Amino acid sequence: MFRIDFAQDGTVLLVGRLDASAAPAAMATLAAIDRAVTADCSGLEYISSAGLGVIMETYKRLHGRGLAFQLIHAAPGVRNVFRYSGLDQVIDIA
Amino acid sequence: MPERRFGRSIDSLEGIHEFVAGFLESQGLSGPLSLDLDLVIEELFTNMVKYSPGGAPEIALRLERRNGGIEVVLRDFDVDRFDPTQASEADADRALAERRPGGLGLRLVRRIAETVRYEYGDRTSTITLTLRAAN
Repeated sequence: MFRIDFAQDGTVLLVGRLDASAAPAAMATLAAIDRAVTADCSGLEYISSAGLGVIMETYKRLHGRGLAFQLIHAAPGVRNVFRYSGLDQVIDIA
Repeated sequence: MPERRFGRSIDSLEGIHEFVAGFLESQGLSGPLSLDLDLVIEELFTNMVKYSPGGAPEIALRLERRNGGIEVVLRDFDVDRFDPTQASEADADRALAERRPGGLGLRLVRRIAETVRYEYGDRTSTITLTLRAAN
């Protein structure tokens, strides 16, 4: 199960397992955001290449409009997936 | 040697995750290995779903403890040959603007798995992976 919540301060909360079955709905939700985004990954248990694709496309779309997109509080296992993919060299992961 | 067959659908991923979790629990294993196993299996399983839509309705997954590690065997029946060990992976050095999600999965599999072997015969693709239990 995967869901996206919104904190009162505007932070986007990624919660659960962002796998290939969850990716289309996640993409649709993030595609509706048109502002700088901080995504809190403390509740993100798992991400696959399909999930990385969602993150990558969101980053490209916002970055292309001069808007920041950063990920925070990623667990070591999730951070490793970004590192294996090489995306940690492009996307800001704090 | 637990083996289970899963429907040729992305919707099978939740059942696969539960199957992997049950296997690891039965072996007294958990932690990062669970994430790594889920990841390599999802990447290869979804490739089979995407690139062989005309294959048999179900794909077989077997997990086994072997030589201190885990062996994963995925068998895809009634399909054309598709060897993921020969397929190109995403180039991390390309500019992000040019990068596409396709190929990232294979890149992840190659980083995580200790060995990846592909065999094809009788219109069946068999992919065998090994992961270290101490990952």
